[in-house]
Amino acid sequence: MIIDAVTENALRHEQVQTFGRLMAGFSHDMKNHLGIIRESNGLVSDFIEFSEMGGDETTMERMQKAIASIERRIVVAADLLHHLSGLAHRPDAEYATFSVNELLLEEYTFLSRFARLEQVSFEVHPGENIVAVHNDPSLLQHIFYRVFDLCLDQLASDSSLVIRTSMEGRSVKVAYEFSLAIKVEVTTVLQAAIAKVGGMLSVKSATDACTHLYLIVPSLPGGFLED
Amino acid sequence: MIEAKLLIIDDEVEFASTLCQRLCLRGIETAEAHSGADGLVKIEEFKPDIVILDLKMPDMNGLDMLAEIKGRDRKVEVIMLTGHGSTASGIEAMEKGAFDYIMKPVDLGELLNKIQQADHKRSETQHDN
Repeated sequence: MIIDAVTENALRHEQVQTFGRLMAGFSHDMKNHLGIIRESNGLVSDFIEFSEMGGDETTMERMQKAIASIERRIVVAADLLHHLSGLAHRPDAEYATFSVNELLLEEYTFLSRFARLEQVSFEVHPGENIVAVHNDPSLLQHIFYRVFDLCLDQLASDSSLVIRTSMEGRSVKVAYEFSLAIKVEVTTVLQAAIAKVGGMLSVKSATDACTHLYLIVPSLPGGFLED
Repeated sequence: MIEAKLLIIDDEVEFASTLCQRLCLRGIETAEAHSGADGLVKIEEFKPDIVILDLKMPDMNGLDMLAEIKGRDRKVEVIMLTGHGSTASGIEAMEKGAFDYIMKPVDLGELLNKIQQADHKRSETQHDN
């Protein structure tokens, strides 16, 4: 069966939404499980603190250490799930007003893992006074990931990537700063995605390699959305 | 010292029961309910000053439950429990009369802080009346 381009596009959009909703449900359930683990762990700690459990001091100290370790991991996992929920809810609305900093930090939680595996130091430095933009959050999420992936592919171990945000007029400028010069070949699909959000990707190059990459994220006016 | 009576309404029985025990250990008179319907019964019987209410329960939406509680007694302060990624649902609840909201998994220190604030507000309201 041949599907026309409009239906194909709608189908893709629905697929992304379905995936997002399933992920959101999953992270919601996981938070409930974590909540129970946290409270049970806290209750054991309370029993020790309120002296309801007998035992020698060394054993009690060891137990407190184990409890603290569980608590630390719960905090990390809860943070991951919080970002996963945010990520999953991004396709809920095709266009929304949102913080680019928040979107970047949300993805950073997951992207940092890929960077760590490649032994690349990776940091996100959100700028101050970054205004919210009106745009397609899910598509921007995708663009951030693709640009990051493009850069990571080129970076050698022990190199670094720092992402900073700043304002450029009414748009948000996302700067990718590399510790070494890399070649960036943007695919036509990525170019189309950047064009769809009204953005622009530019490079600061030295001969045929670049050390900085800039992504401009504009706030789209209502008229643009209807086109 | 928190003098308010507290009711936890959450369909996660283990969660509600453990949290209930932890608050009791801290000298707070606490009861628990595991559904919206059970919660409404406990509100009549136990007469809590503060309710900790889950936003999502199978038998009743947390926001509807909030309206029901506030409709019965406006003085009861409600702290919403939300598992959502964004703060939007918590803010929506506050716009509809909740005292505050807290994200799951709950940090006990943060919750105690909010309970204390709600208790303080309740005492001030009683004093004014």
